[in-house]
Amino acid sequence: MQGTAVSGGRAADLRTAGARSAIANIGTIARKEFREVLRDGRFAGVAVVVVLLLIAALVVGGQRYAAQRDIQAIAQGDVNHQFLKQGDKNPHSGAHYGNYAFKQNGPLSFFDNGVEAYSGSLVFIEAHRQNLALSPPASDLSAITRFGDLNGAMVLQVLVPLLIIVLAFMAFAGERERGTLRQLLSIGVDRRQLLWGKALGIGAAVLMVVLPALVVGALIISFADIGQGADAFWGRLGLMAAAYLAYAAIFLFLALGVSALAPSGRAALLILIGFWALSMFIVPKAAVEFSKRAYPTYSFGEFQANMAADRTRGLDGVSPRVRLAQYQQEVFRQYGVDRVEDLPVYWTALRMQKLEDMDHEVFDHYFGGLRDGYMRQQRFQDFFGVIAPSLPLASLSMGLAGTDLVHHYRFTDAAEQHRRDMIVKVNDYLADAAAAFNARRDPNETDQLGANRIFVADEAFFATIPPFDYTPPSLAEVNGRYRMHYLMLALWLAGAVAFARFAVGRLRPDMH
Amino acid sequence: MYRLIIGHEARSLVRSPSFLWVLVFLAGAIAFGAWTGAEVMERQHRGVEAMQGLSDAAKARRRASVAEYEEKVKATGASMEAAIFSHDEGDGPPQATNAGSMGRQLSSIARLPATGLAPLAVGQSDVLLSYVPVTMHNFITVTRNSELENPVILKKGPFDLAFVVIFLVPIFILAASYDLLSSEKERGTLAMLMSHPISLRQLIAAKVVSRAAIILAVVLCFGFGAMLAVGSDFDNAATWGYFASWMGIVLLYSLFWFSLAVLVNALGRSSATNGVILAACWLVFVVILPTLVSFAATTLYPAPSRFELTTAARDAQTRAEGEYMKALDEYYYDHLEYVPNAGDKVNDFLSVTLAKENSIQKAIKPIYDHFRAQLQGQEQAVSWFQFLSPAIMTQRALSDLSGTSSARYADYLEQVLAFHQEWVDYFTGRFLSAEPLTTHDYDNFPAFEYVEASPATVAGRVMPSAVGLVLFIIVVAGAGFSCLRRYQVAAR
Repeated sequence: MQGTAVSGGRAADLRTAGARSAIANIGTIARKEFREVLRDGRFAGVAVVVVLLLIAALVVGGQRYAAQRDIQAIAQGDVNHQFLKQGDKNPHSGAHYGNYAFKQNGPLSFFDNGVEAYSGSLVFIEAHRQNLALSPPASDLSAITRFGDLNGAMVLQVLVPLLIIVLAFMAFAGERERGTLRQLLSIGVDRRQLLWGKALGIGAAVLMVVLPALVVGALIISFADIGQGADAFWGRLGLMAAAYLAYAAIFLFLALGVSALAPSGRAALLILIGFWALSMFIVPKAAVEFSKRAYPTYSFGEFQANMAADRTRGLDGVSPRVRLAQYQQEVFRQYGVDRVEDLPVYWTALRMQKLEDMDHEVFDHYFGGLRDGYMRQQRFQDFFGVIAPSLPLASLSMGLAGTDLVHHYRFTDAAEQHRRDMIVKVNDYLADAAAAFNARRDPNETDQLGANRIFVADEAFFATIPPFDYTPPSLAEVNGRYRMHYLMLALWLAGAVAFARFAVGRLRPDMH
Repeated sequence: MYRLIIGHEARSLVRSPSFLWVLVFLAGAIAFGAWTGAEVMERQHRGVEAMQGLSDAAKARRRASVAEYEEKVKATGASMEAAIFSHDEGDGPPQATNAGSMGRQLSSIARLPATGLAPLAVGQSDVLLSYVPVTMHNFITVTRNSELENPVILKKGPFDLAFVVIFLVPIFILAASYDLLSSEKERGTLAMLMSHPISLRQLIAAKVVSRAAIILAVVLCFGFGAMLAVGSDFDNAATWGYFASWMGIVLLYSLFWFSLAVLVNALGRSSATNGVILAACWLVFVVILPTLVSFAATTLYPAPSRFELTTAARDAQTRAEGEYMKALDEYYYDHLEYVPNAGDKVNDFLSVTLAKENSIQKAIKPIYDHFRAQLQGQEQAVSWFQFLSPAIMTQRALSDLSGTSSARYADYLEQVLAFHQEWVDYFTGRFLSAEPLTTHDYDNFPAFEYVEASPATVAGRVMPSAVGLVLFIIVVAGAGFSCLRRYQVAAR
């Protein structure tokens, strides 16, 4: 009604003036809240603990990362050199000698080491066999490590939400218990402005705690040359920061909402700590147990025994022996011969490659089944993120850090691909070279071993096999895989803000 | 009077819906913990059986070919010979008679039997392989397998009974007793109570006793039920002894948290402040200190890199390959007792392979020993640091009592290494003296039998933790009761 009396320009002015005063109000409330938090003795104590833990975790994490990276580079170089310098020998013996693939840690593992302690770190690459990744670091560590690792991600995921809860549970309940809430509401302070002001004030205090640690983190990144060669390192870092910020905001708004609704500060604290414990420990562990029942996976013994059985029996029930005989007939037809001796190529090499090819189907079935089972289990667990926001964040954080299952399996898959390429090279080479050798071999010539001299290739042959290398998943791929997690965090954030707004809407100066 | 207060407290607790919910939740958690612990052990059992089946089937196949050959030899009246290692099986003796070849291809499953209480505390048994297939390959190759489990699951850890005790029971205890005195004071009933002929200490003791009795009764009953449901080996008296000790440790751990609640209440703050202080204590003792101790132990005694161990083994292998004649000399020299005529070396593929394995193993032994020493240092550090937190002491004690501790596994690994040597010696001897393997040999291959540590040894492992818990209780409860002397009964 007033709008008709004033010109459009004035209305806009009023609106901007209103916005300005709202911002000013929020600013005032935020400053008051911030100052109050800083004066609180509890804050100083908790903040110092969190900062120290975070800095210690980042410094040692950076050190461990750098040490692991150097050892990995040296070890990979060593075994590659050993592979190249194995001397003149039959290429198939060379393939048996094989090589090792050593896993590089993810670029941000100094912050979040993800599943690295529990996944195998090296793969033996040899003829005939796809091997499991061996030596997960946890098998060489004391049982106490099962309490959890101290790293930056753990501090931000577990301790910072607690810090937020401790700072925020009294935000409204305290005003009510002191009687200042009645005053505030009576002078007509907008409830939403109150909410945003308090959120900003407490948020600023939390950031103040985390900021020095972030500076330390940045220094570590630059000193230890972390992230060189990683795909979109800064993009990963930026998304991670955004995810953690959203996560912290979820707890902040939940805490403010509960503080506004709960009958007393004490009740608010109990509810919030209960939610925290549920979200951090109980739900994730319970989700693990349910996922195991939903998607059972093989133990070591079952895996080995079933795979061995299928290698002899054939996945489809047709034994490799039968398939090999069929293949031999095909080869005979192809060359128009009917005896192995008349083949212009080295039959043993063809036969070995055929055996490898048949084994690959079995390996793909078992190793692929294991990987898919693990991925499904994790996805199933992450659905519990609907009740515990820590779950989607923890998985997303590992993904962005390059320390999740996706990154692990990219490594083992690459190692297996390297193995298969190597075997094909060896068998292709043998098929021709050994046939030619056998054709001109003097059967009376024997070697030091007293056996009929077998075909020996020059050491230089091994240089034709490129060294093991692999490309970790790109950021785009990681984002694609964790779409659900981004969505969950966004929904949690929207839900928490909506809840807090609803709660302040129902804010009463007293509970009676 | 004393009994009256306990009775009154117990009655009012049982009538409080929130306390009943706590009990229901606790009982549910115990049942869930038992269920999950049982699952881990079942999975392990399936693995053992499958592995044993695989090993037995391979052995049976080989034995059958030897039996057939034995028949043939008996029929022709010739004498048995050992096969020369070859890829093709001709008319001669089957490869299964060759000890050098079979010692590598066949395996004996060295099982670490799960104790009757293993499902109660999973410990490291989801990470470490408890059925190592022992062959003639060098011991690094033999012992480096681990149990196959989703790394994500291992990272989050099992929801077993030990987790319920260490993480959740304190929460329930603190929820029931963070306001032991403060709530009475805030309601104004404390002054009234104090007008009766009862001391403050008696009052708080009565309150603790009533709460402890109810919570521990639930833990004991459901814990006992859990053991009967998922445990095993009940004929063994030791199992009952370990279970009694298990419950004893749970009792001590619970008493520690009750004493802490008394101490914090004795400081005379408000209920809300008590809640925050106790929650912070829980966080420090159960989450922060254990992770810090783990952090310190692994930083002070970092496990040497498996990468370095692997490349070192590789170096030894390369050297042995380059100088295989020397490796062969060494091999013969190491096993002179088996070789009838040491000058007469057989240098076929298999001999060279075994000789190389021999050299590799000798070369990596010192590196491996250093490796184990570092791990022992780590374990030693943890065994000292454990006294910082009752949660660590409890974890160690419970996994020792359940037979899933690092100590028992280390002991097992020792025995596996000794058995590996026995296996290697058995087959090496027969191989070098060219003795064919007979069906009789097949029935009498060396077999691994884990020699269980005596209850006294286990008690020795658990004792420091138990004593540490008792000391914690004495100090905390003592401080609490002495603080009560200065307690202000009425609000000022």
